[in-house]
Amino acid sequence: MFRNCAIIGCGQTKHTSKRRDVSAAELAAEAVNAALVDAGITMKDVDCVVSGNMQGFGGIAQPEQWLGDWIGCAGKPAIRIATGGTTGGSVGQGACYTVASGMYNVSLAVAWEKHSDSKEAGATTGLAHVGMGNLFHALAYGLSLKNLIATTAVGAAAGVAVYQARYYMQRSGCRQEHLDMVAAKNRRCAAKNPYAHLQWPNCQPEDIAKTDLIAYPFRYGHVCPASDGASAIVVAEEKFARKHCKQPAWFKGLASYSDEENQLQSENYGGVGVIDPSEQMGARVSAMKAYKMAGITDPQKEVDLAEIYQPFPSQELIFSERLGLFDEGTAWKHMEKGETDINGRLPISVSGGVNATNAIGSSALQRILEAALQIMGKAGEHQVPKKVKTAVAHGWGGVTNYITFTVLGDTPRG
Amino acid sequence: MGEKIGIIGYAQSHHQYEVQKTREDLVFDVVKEALAKAGILREELGTVVTSSTDFLDGRTISNVFLSMAVGAFLKDESKVEEDGTSSLMYAVMKLITGAYDVALVEAHTIGWGFNPHQVSFYTVDPLVDRQFGVLNDVSAGALQAKMYMDKYGVSEGDLAAVAVKNLGNGAVNPYASRRMADVSATEVLKSKMFFSPITELMMSPITDGCAVVILASEKKARSVCKNPVWIEGMGNCQDPYLRDRNLLSLTALKKAGQAAYQMAGISDPVNDLDLLEVSERYAHEELMICEALGLAREGKGKFLVENGVTTKCGELPVNPSGGALCADPICATGLVRVVECCKQINGEAEDHQVSGVKKALAHGQFGICSQKNTVIILGGE
Repeated sequence: MFRNCAIIGCGQTKHTSKRRDVSAAELAAEAVNAALVDAGITMKDVDCVVSGNMQGFGGIAQPEQWLGDWIGCAGKPAIRIATGGTTGGSVGQGACYTVASGMYNVSLAVAWEKHSDSKEAGATTGLAHVGMGNLFHALAYGLSLKNLIATTAVGAAAGVAVYQARYYMQRSGCRQEHLDMVAAKNRRCAAKNPYAHLQWPNCQPEDIAKTDLIAYPFRYGHVCPASDGASAIVVAEEKFARKHCKQPAWFKGLASYSDEENQLQSENYGGVGVIDPSEQMGARVSAMKAYKMAGITDPQKEVDLAEIYQPFPSQELIFSERLGLFDEGTAWKHMEKGETDINGRLPISVSGGVNATNAIGSSALQRILEAALQIMGKAGEHQVPKKVKTAVAHGWGGVTNYITFTVLGDTPRG
Repeated sequence: MGEKIGIIGYAQSHHQYEVQKTREDLVFDVVKEALAKAGILREELGTVVTSSTDFLDGRTISNVFLSMAVGAFLKDESKVEEDGTSSLMYAVMKLITGAYDVALVEAHTIGWGFNPHQVSFYTVDPLVDRQFGVLNDVSAGALQAKMYMDKYGVSEGDLAAVAVKNLGNGAVNPYASRRMADVSATEVLKSKMFFSPITELMMSPITDGCAVVILASEKKARSVCKNPVWIEGMGNCQDPYLRDRNLLSLTALKKAGQAAYQMAGISDPVNDLDLLEVSERYAHEELMICEALGLAREGKGKFLVENGVTTKCGELPVNPSGGALCADPICATGLVRVVECCKQINGEAEDHQVSGVKKALAHGQFGICSQKNTVIILGGE
């Protein structure tokens, strides 16, 4: 039985490119402490800690073994979950399952990333290591088609996202100026979010258009930063949640359906082969399952707000369609009309999203956290000017193939 | 536990150093075997939980490129960066919520790619201990062994006796990687010394391996399986960091054990359990684990071995498969224990079968000096 559970406390740190004032442990602890204070509870009330980050990016193996004492793991059940870009989403969902199953009453989810601890930006060295295992195998036993493919199909996230954006633009008619508009919206929104990294008050598409081209269609102004930061949420069962929180954000539906790895891996590798990385079958299936679980039949009408994992502006458009919020190929038209802006019909990533703040391991948990803040009415300056009944949070990672999708609501599941 | 969850299929690889397959091939073969044993198709899987770590696999996002090998594409999928028993616990929780009715749990480590002992060096406090460069899992294990021996008057011979027992058991286990028949205590003590008192045969070998367990809700389990093995209890706990804990006491394991015993309704583990499979990375750990699980008083674990209580034919066999001393594919080690317990309960263990096993305990650990522990209680019909 799925026991009702809700988010009753949220905490995050200020995000910047280099948090030199804290260690990774102190960074994570900062978010944990903020979440506990927000929920009005202490560590004694917490039964289980679910944590995660991408260990290669900070250069610490299994960091929860060292910094577990800082985030409250010591003497408690603790689970570490890490799934690449979706780590935060998986951690948040993990905390939900630990409570929904009845094993624990109150769980803490915490995710963090401290890029500045590694010599080079994590996204450069870290992502180059995706195919590393296969490379070693190739060096020892010779090259086979399979490990050749795995080592060539990596590329940093920008490399993959460029192809993805081009596919989408070709199919939908979206143009580069629309990406400028999305990026400008995210910079503007971030300026209202005190925790966000790239803040640019009153940023206009023309400002973004002036920045250098990196790889068509992406300009420098389109790309997400690499941030140091952490986020944490407290998840509790119904009775505890009602006692400690006026307006909890209830978990209504969740799913994390993955797709096959994209690119080059056609039928000889294992199946149907994903050629078009903007297709995102995993996102479609995840959304379908989570909406069903939440009892949502028409997401276009019933969803009030979405937090989408969009390191690049094209992904905000792609995923809002794949998650059923707009019809195929129309997201950019709705965006052009301002429907996805903070005061629009369906505000998307009004926290600035991953586009403005990307502490990779924590980014997907931040989406859940920001969606919860909007339901709880605690988002502050970037609170949308309407009642948020249903908000969805999305996470994306792997080699474009991992998805986490969570539906939150202002009332528990029926 | 509210709902009953059963194990309907399980399989493990033939553990060895340098398995001479890609990671994907190794995993795929074991998954295929487990699905065949469960008698279900990939299409029937609801959720998949894998278990590996980025450092041990030597790659970022270690579950990438595994989706197809474990049959997870277009399925609910997640990865727990811990021992496989933690993944199993997570999968059980997912099943209890009713969101899915079949879950596949996979765990693997390829030991030859990156030396796991070197990896353990990167788990210690990066600001202090890493700078000194002294601590890794073996040196910390040796410190723990020394402290334990000094406090309770345990000799090196007592530790060697544990190794002799487990290596003897492993000799007839076709899946074990270290198979040495008739090893004597002298040979154990004279094998290569790493950190005193730990010699090569007192510590687990670096291994490539994989284990898979398929779980199902009670209804589904009964419909597809004649003899499901039920999860009766589970517990999990983490100890503080190495420098901040008392290495003489496996406090986390005690708590995890108590949680699992309570859930399974076990008050007297010595009488209620028929068999234990524990993850002992070093010989002394088996003694400490037995004590923490309530089989003996603190410091008295050696008498279990001395009196033959924990031998294959003893009253309460511990590690009849040979345990981690015979094969230690790190992330998979705990899940291999679960697989071995299932085999014992279903009478499939062949040469190392113990008769009349109805209730068994599987233990998984992770981190230096058994920092994180998971205990699973399994029972037959």
